[in-house]
Order: sequence, then C-alpha cells, then structure tokens
Amino acid sequence: MQIFLGLLEVVLREGFIYGIMAMGVYITYKVLNFPDLSVDGTFPLGCCLAAELITKGMNPWISCLICLAAGGAAGALTGVLHVKLRITDLMSGILVMTALYSVNMVVTEKKAILSIFNMPTIFNSGIGGKLYGMFGQWGWAVMAGIVCLAVKLILDMYLETRSGLLLRAAGNNPKFVVSIGKDPGNMKILGLMIGNALTALSGCVLAQQRESADAGSGTGMVVMSLAAVIIGSAVLGKAKYIRSTTTAVIGMIVYRACLTIAMQLGLETIYLKALMSILFVIALISSRYNDERRKKNG
Amino acid sequence: MKNNMVKKVLSVGLAAVMALSLSACGSSSSATTAVGTTAAAETTAAGSSESSASTEASGEMKKIGMIQFTTVPSLDNCYTGFLQGLEAEGFVEGQNITIDFQNANAEPSTADTEAQTMAQKKYDLIGAIATPAAMSAYGACKADGIPVVFTAVSDPVAAQLVESLDKSGTICAGSSDQLPIEAQLKLIRAFLPDAKKIGILYTTSEPNSITDLEIIKELAPKYDFEIVDQGVTNASEVVSGAQTLVSKGVDCFTNFTDNNVVNNLPSVLQAATQAGIPVFGSEEGQVYDGCLASISIDYVALGKETGIIAGKILKGELKPEESAIYTSNEGSPFINTEVAESLNLEIPADYQDGTMVTTGSNK
Repeated sequence: MQIFLGLLEVVLREGFIYGIMAMGVYITYKVLNFPDLSVDGTFPLGCCLAAELITKGMNPWISCLICLAAGGAAGALTGVLHVKLRITDLMSGILVMTALYSVNMVVTEKKAILSIFNMPTIFNSGIGGKLYGMFGQWGWAVMAGIVCLAVKLILDMYLETRSGLLLRAAGNNPKFVVSIGKDPGNMKILGLMIGNALTALSGCVLAQQRESADAGSGTGMVVMSLAAVIIGSAVLGKAKYIRSTTTAVIGMIVYRACLTIAMQLGLETIYLKALMSILFVIALISSRYNDERRKKNG
Repeated sequence: MKNNMVKKVLSVGLAAVMALSLSACGSSSSATTAVGTTAAAETTAAGSSESSASTEASGEMKKIGMIQFTTVPSLDNCYTGFLQGLEAEGFVEGQNITIDFQNANAEPSTADTEAQTMAQKKYDLIGAIATPAAMSAYGACKADGIPVVFTAVSDPVAAQLVESLDKSGTICAGSSDQLPIEAQLKLIRAFLPDAKKIGILYTTSEPNSITDLEIIKELAPKYDFEIVDQGVTNASEVVSGAQTLVSKGVDCFTNFTDNNVVNNLPSVLQAATQAGIPVFGSEEGQVYDGCLASISIDYVALGKETGIIAGKILKGELKPEESAIYTSNEGSPFINTEVAESLNLEIPADYQDGTMVTTGSNK
C-alpha cells in the first residue's frame, strides 16, 4: 500500500510537471493546429537555464519567470520563421529545435549535465519547503500541483479574453480574424510563444524537482506531450464541464500512469516506446470515433 | 453520454492489458533480468519459488535496482562486472538477491521514472551505470537515504554526486572511469617520437569529453605535444571533423570515450588512413576495430570493483558516506600489430608486454 501511494505521488508529480508542457502543446497543436517541434529544444532550455540561474544564486521563482520569457522568445522565433519568412510549420520547429541545442550548450557553459543538489529550489525553500515539512514526499506533488493549477487558471482566464478568443479563432477560422481587421499570423506567433514559454517552465520546474538538468532531456518531449493532449481528449472527450487545459493535464497523468503501471508489471523499458505508440494509436482512433459520433448526432 | 464514457475508460483499460501481455513476453524471453518485480516485491518469492534449496541462503532477500543509461559495450561490460563483484561478496541473483535491471534508452526522463519507482519500492540499494543514470538515482533516493552505487561516471565531484573522491559524504558510492590520459600521452610519445600535433575529435554535448579535453590540454605540454581539437554535434559531422583535423596537419588522432565519435570510428579511421597517420583509441574495443593502440580501462574490472562496493554496503560493512571512490587510473596497453605494420611503426620497447591484437580478432 505504501509503495502504491508512493508511486501514485510520483505519477501525479510527474503528471503535473509535464502537464504544464502538455497545456502549452495543447495551445499549439489543438488551438493553432501547428505541429510544433521546437518543444524538444525549449524543454531542455528551461531545464538548463533554471539550473544555471540557481547555481548563480538566482531566486528559484524568478528563475521560473526568466525561463518562461526564454521559452517565449524561442516560440516567437519559430513563429516568425513560419509566419513572416514563410517556412513550413514542421521545418520552423526543427530549425529552432536544432538552434536551441547550441543555445543550451552556451547556457550551460558546454556542460551536458548541471547539478543543483541541495541548492534552494521552489520545492525545498519557502512554501515548497513548508509543504515538504508537512507532507513529506507528497509535498512535491502538492507543490507541482499548485504550479500546474496556477498556470492552468491563468491560461483559462487568458483564453476568455478578447486576445484569447482571437487566438482560438486564428486556428479554427482565420478568415474571421482577418474580417475584424486583425492579423492571424500575429496570433499564431503569440500562441507559439505561449506554448514554448509553458514548455520551458515545465523544464524549469522539473530541473528544480530533480535538482539537476540534462541538456539531452528534450528527446521525446513532443511525442509525450502530443500523446497527453490526444489521450486527454480521448478519455474525457468533450465533457462540457471540463476545460481543455484540464484534459491536457489529465492526459499527461494518465500517460505517466500507464508507463508506471507497465513498469510495475515488469515491462522492460525497451518496450516502452512501443507501448507509447500503441497508446497513441488507441487515443487517436477513439478520439476520431468520438468526433464522428458527434457529427452524426449533431 | 454515459455509454460513451464507458468506451473511453475501456480504451485505457485495453492499453493496460496490452502492457501486461507485452510484459509477459519480456519476462519469458530474458531470464537474466529480474522482471515481474511487483510480485517479487510483495512476496519476496522470486527465489524460493525457483528452488527449495534456497533455504540455505542466509537472511532475507536483498532487493537492488540497476539503471543503465544506454546500451554501449563499455556500459554493458560494467554491468557484467557489477554482477561478478556482487557474487564475490556472496550475493547471487535469485538466491539471496533480486536485481531489477532497467535500461533508460538514453532518456533522462525514463531514467528518472525508473529511479523514482525503485525509490518508492524501498530497494536496499540502487546501482547506476553512467552519469545521467547516477543523477536520476541520486535525485530520487536523496530524501529516503537509499544508497546509490554508481560506475562509469568520469567526474562524480563535478556532477555533485560526492563531495570528494576520498570520502563521499553523500548516499553515493562507486567508481569513476576517468580515462588514463597521461598514460595515453606516454604511449603516443613512445610510438611517435617526432610527433607534434595530436588531433582530437569530440562531441560538444558529451560532458566526459569536455572534461577529458581540459585534462589533456593541461598535460600535453609536459610531453611536448600540441592539442588540436575539433568539436562536432552529431554523427554526420564526424567525417568532416576528421578531415578538418587532417587538413590542420595533425600527426595522429586520439579518442576519448566519446560515444558519438566511437560509434563513428570507421569515418575517423578512413580519414586517418588516407593521410597515413595513426588513431589511438580510448578502449580496447577500438584497437580491435583498427586503432593503432590504446591504454584501456577494463570496464568489467571496473564494474566488479563497483559490485564489491555494493556488496559491502548491502552487508553493512561499508557506509556510503565514508566510502572512497574507486578510480581505475592504471589501464593496460592494447596494440594492433597489423596496423603498426601497415604504418611501418615499431612497437616501443616499453610496450612489448602489452596485449597484441589484430583487427577483428576479438570476433
């Protein structure tokens, strides 16, 4: 039982942390319909930048804000390449992802691994430290949950504003955006900024939790977060009372849970990739099934 | 709507079932890895169900987790040695110890999940092979104080895994695979008395290579060498990197334990052969693949020493905080006589007793 509770905490903690990224990918993939590969570069950017800043003695919360800004800048670059320079969406993402590799090496001063063991992070100082004192290991999950919830609430509020509505329209119905005299391209850039800012924040929070950063940690992040977004919408469908941001986070938790369950059942990690693809296919099929059903009914 | 919901739940359930069936394949195909660990963890029955003779195994079953970051020969050798070391200390898998072996597929996030899972199961010890695995294991075990025994970490102090090489000061113990760089320089000087420039190809994202480069640059003047280095970022740049170094007039190449460069060794060898200069390897495997010579760490031996440390910790004879980090700075020479002949080089007198091999003779 104790093992189960412990693993549950790990699943929730990782789900919340990577869930921040899933919300970002929800914005680019679902709202803007933009397959953004730069995420594989912005995630380690957040990790490395956070570790570097904390090593230099920066306050962990301010580090989070700086990571948000850095991720946003990377997203803006992807957006400008695509919208202003008319490079295809996939290619813009790949270009930025590749360039970010160099940026990350500069950030870490050519080290591939940065340790911040026992330095102040949001998990062991201030509120995080108090939570850890009260709940032990569960303090980490609570802290990750708080950050994730805060991001979700802010994002939900933003999507309700005029700019948020335009952002959603830029993906679904760009003509509408043009018709009211706005540029859908600019909204795309903004959406990519939000998506990558959240991804970098996710990396930043992860680095603070595991107290180290790895420049190679971006591998597989795009696929993981796409899987989360798709699983989320497949599992929760279009349940009216749940917002899409929540489904992205829940999708990530379900995804992490599946991985942990598979490992608990003794699945060797070499099979995890196949499992990931199977989950992905099931989610895609079931979400299409849902869509078709709704069309028939509606 | 409700009916719809049920279908969605079912789809997730289906995924879990698939995971189960896959895991069944996994456990039947590989007897060496301790799969089915949940069952083992609950009942500690993995050994006793296998043979009733295990009653002679003294005390309780110890459970350890192993995380290997990725699959490369040197790390595989570490694991082989690790098991030998444990056995030397009286721990035999299936009898008095269960080993949950996981490969992280070279992904830090997978290593993290594995380490967290092992920490939650309150294993007695976690073994970690290669730096990223050790980082994940330490991060996951720090709060619970589960000992972490690492190997193939070249600079554990810089990675903040331990406070110093003489006394760990943390829950980590283990061994470092710092290359015997000075011995390698001596070897090169013995083979090439007139050489001036050593060309080094390294991958900028591999931390070991960066450390090694700093060390060799510091040591090179002592042996009257000049280091010409060329960084690459991926496999496709190895060929042009090697050509660049040749064009800068290097007298030989020497390798680090740089995974990318070592995996693309044929490209380096080709460039060197065309220019008529030798390549010195960083591990015996490379000498068998066509490098002239190498002062090589025996990774099996390194793993064995690490396994012995782990065994002592399991028995309570050694506290990780007080342990010293084992470093294999000796290394032994491997020389490819075929390559030496084709380059018209004589084997130096000091290295006559090294291991003589020819290309491909290990296969």
